[in-house]
Amino acid sequence: MKSLFKPKPRTPVDVVRQTRDLLIYTDRNPDTKETKREEKQMLELSKNVRELKSILYGNSESEPVAEACAQLTQEFFRDNTLRLLIKCLPKLNLETRKDATQVVANLQRQQVQSRLIASDYLEANIDLMDTLVAGYENTEMALHYGAMLRECIRHQSVAKYVLESQHMKKFFDYIQLPNFDIAADAAATFKELLTRHKSTVAEFLSKNYDWFFAEYNSKLLESTNYITRRQAVKLLGDILLDRSNSAVMTRYVSSRENLRILMNLLRESSKSIQLEAFHVFKLFVANQNKPADIVGILVTNRSKLLRLFADFKTDKEDEQFEADKAHVVREIAALEPKGP
Amino acid sequence: MKLSRLNSLRRVQSGDLIMKLPDDHDDSRRPQFPLDSTSYKIIDEIGVGVSAVVYKAICIPMNSAVVAIKAIDLDRSRADFDDIRREAKILSLLSHPNILNSHCSFTVDRRLWVVMPFMSAGSLQSIITSSFPDGLPEPCIAIVLREILHALSYLHDQGHLHRDIKAGNILIDSNGSIKLADFGVSTSIFESNSKQGVSISPLSTSIMLKEVAGTPYWMAPEVIHSHNGYSLKADIWSFGITALELAHGRPPLSHLPPSKSLLLKITRRFRFSDYENHHNSKNKNKFSKGFKELVASCLDPEPSRRPCAEKLLKHPFFKNSKGPDLLVKTILQGLPSVEERFKLGKLQRLPSMKTEEEEEEELEKEIIKQRRISGWNFNEDGLELDPVFPGEECSIMEEKGSGNSSECCSGLSDLSSPVGNERGGGSGGGGGEEEEVVDRESIVGGLMALKRSLDEQRRAVGSLIELMEGEKVGEMSREEQMGRLMEKVTRELENERRRNFELEMELEFLRLQISAFHNNNDGGASTAINN
Repeated sequence: MKSLFKPKPRTPVDVVRQTRDLLIYTDRNPDTKETKREEKQMLELSKNVRELKSILYGNSESEPVAEACAQLTQEFFRDNTLRLLIKCLPKLNLETRKDATQVVANLQRQQVQSRLIASDYLEANIDLMDTLVAGYENTEMALHYGAMLRECIRHQSVAKYVLESQHMKKFFDYIQLPNFDIAADAAATFKELLTRHKSTVAEFLSKNYDWFFAEYNSKLLESTNYITRRQAVKLLGDILLDRSNSAVMTRYVSSRENLRILMNLLRESSKSIQLEAFHVFKLFVANQNKPADIVGILVTNRSKLLRLFADFKTDKEDEQFEADKAHVVREIAALEPKGP
Repeated sequence: MKLSRLNSLRRVQSGDLIMKLPDDHDDSRRPQFPLDSTSYKIIDEIGVGVSAVVYKAICIPMNSAVVAIKAIDLDRSRADFDDIRREAKILSLLSHPNILNSHCSFTVDRRLWVVMPFMSAGSLQSIITSSFPDGLPEPCIAIVLREILHALSYLHDQGHLHRDIKAGNILIDSNGSIKLADFGVSTSIFESNSKQGVSISPLSTSIMLKEVAGTPYWMAPEVIHSHNGYSLKADIWSFGITALELAHGRPPLSHLPPSKSLLLKITRRFRFSDYENHHNSKNKNKFSKGFKELVASCLDPEPSRRPCAEKLLKHPFFKNSKGPDLLVKTILQGLPSVEERFKLGKLQRLPSMKTEEEEEEELEKEIIKQRRISGWNFNEDGLELDPVFPGEECSIMEEKGSGNSSECCSGLSDLSSPVGNERGGGSGGGGGEEEEVVDRESIVGGLMALKRSLDEQRRAVGSLIELMEGEKVGEMSREEQMGRLMEKVTRELENERRRNFELEMELEFLRLQISAFHNNNDGGASTAINN
């Protein structure tokens, strides 16, 4: 333990090692802050984390040095420092938690010999994602773990793990948590998971189509919470309009139940929800192979829909929107009911 | 099963179960405020804007603690809520005695409620407007500035820029404590979000942001032509302007419309003495040398020469500064309450002008800084001070009449706002040759914009007439319809003006670059500015 108080200057590797030693110490002691000594250790840990941050980001005197960052990153992932840091995070004070979050975020992007070694580490320690996701259930930790999680899912393999894990179901609850800051953070992560890595998302959605969209419809699109409905319909538009998800889109717009939900959203008094719902609704109409029951619903509601679109306007002029609207109106007006 | 888990989760969140944490740092001991609207009782309105209302309220289960609640209409904000999310996060993770953070935030139908500590004396801008129109005494300024520097030092240390420092965002409590509010445009230099224009590579404080944000009069020159990027030092500039605002009751150049103030800042170096000259010659020796030095160092056009917050705190100006008691004695005694000031402000405004003004004001603010969820500074009644008010039409008119047409300006824009008397002396005499060239060209630009906006208006009036003639049925009365149309037209006009202004700025910047290139082959644009 004497080595802890070596005089400066220390190399980046020294700082990582010392941080690790202090984390091990913190991890072993269930009751921190009991003695002066422990308090001092905690202070020392805070200082070290701050120093890691300033090596990675630079400070008011100096720019970050690529070589130092690489050494730090290599040492950090050579051993289990990330696991310790995540585990001990609740024991750290607010400022140190924030510093640690920024350090973890930065490390995800550091390359060592043109490899993202963070990705390799996380693949081998993928259970850490379980801790990070569960963070949304802890008011104190949610924003820190949430921010770390969003950085980790920049790696495709990590995002794939989270998407395919049981955690995915929990997000439907997390994004409706009453604490707005936490719910919004979870929503941002959810969106990232479903939009960032195109091929992974497309694969996930086709494999999990049934439960995913059943939950999506009932929990999000039909939620009683305004902001949930609004974010969900926007995200649904983003997902379905993405070229890589075209198979999923075709399937989605062939369902009569989905059409019903979207038509209800079109009738909302909130202009923003109406508009976002339109961007999904138009896909049902534009579908060249509309099933008979979809055509039937559109024909039955033709006059109502046309009346709705007659006064349907965006606040700002939007040529694309007007063109889409005109197309939808033409298409609906020309529909003929199909035989059963 | 799932439901019960969610319920228990909710219980944790809503404070029935307060998490016991292994450490006892004061920051993790923040009391959990309830997350449902029924736990709060609204007492009074203390601020109104187009999309938000600020209330004074009590939190019943928390021993009826007094709080401020900002209720924001989410239906008016953009769909991805990224700005709101970022601000909510910043607010709940900052912990400093000089920073106004939130107790909690939650949605109530379409509104977001942000529950904050109630700062009973309100913003310094509203205090100045109601009781100190010529500025605060220097010893009080010193206290305020010191406290704000503490806040800035903390923010900058965390890599956050505030980006909108001004008296309207400085709040004071009945015990004289000072807090910096409103993190709507603040941003973190560590968040490498490409949307924010932050470069991806991890850089130190020289990291450059490229988004224009803030309120014109307080904006640093490098923020205005943000092509070059700016950094933490932009806050130091705004801090310097705020110091002047506290000293004189208004920011410098505020007698000019915002676009003009921006142009001036770019085209020539701003000097403390300029301000004193056109402002009030009586005041010339009112302030100590230390104060002037401090302000001058913050207003250095070269960001790297401005001292950081930490360093400013060591300035001799703060050496003998007093405690908050002085503020209580000097400023707060006999001051009308926030509620009273708000109501008074409401009455003073002409009822017919009110909504339009607010619309315009808020609209422009929105354009500049987008949605913000903290801070109470909107709709303050100091219209003269309000940087967002008259808009570009004034600059166009003024330039057309080459200087002395303040009457036509005030007539056009706003009947109730007192137009600065100093206007005449301001822009006419000062500039050199360079400025005249700039003026001539911007006159052309201005006229073009005017022509464009007139066309726009003609079209709008045309459609208005059509509508009046054609449409006879409908639930709305004609007045209502006209009102709505007018609103829409005003909004369109505003957008047009903004676009025009942006183009003007772009042009200006390019011209500067060219002249810099000619004057000095290896010097940058900044050298040209100094010339």
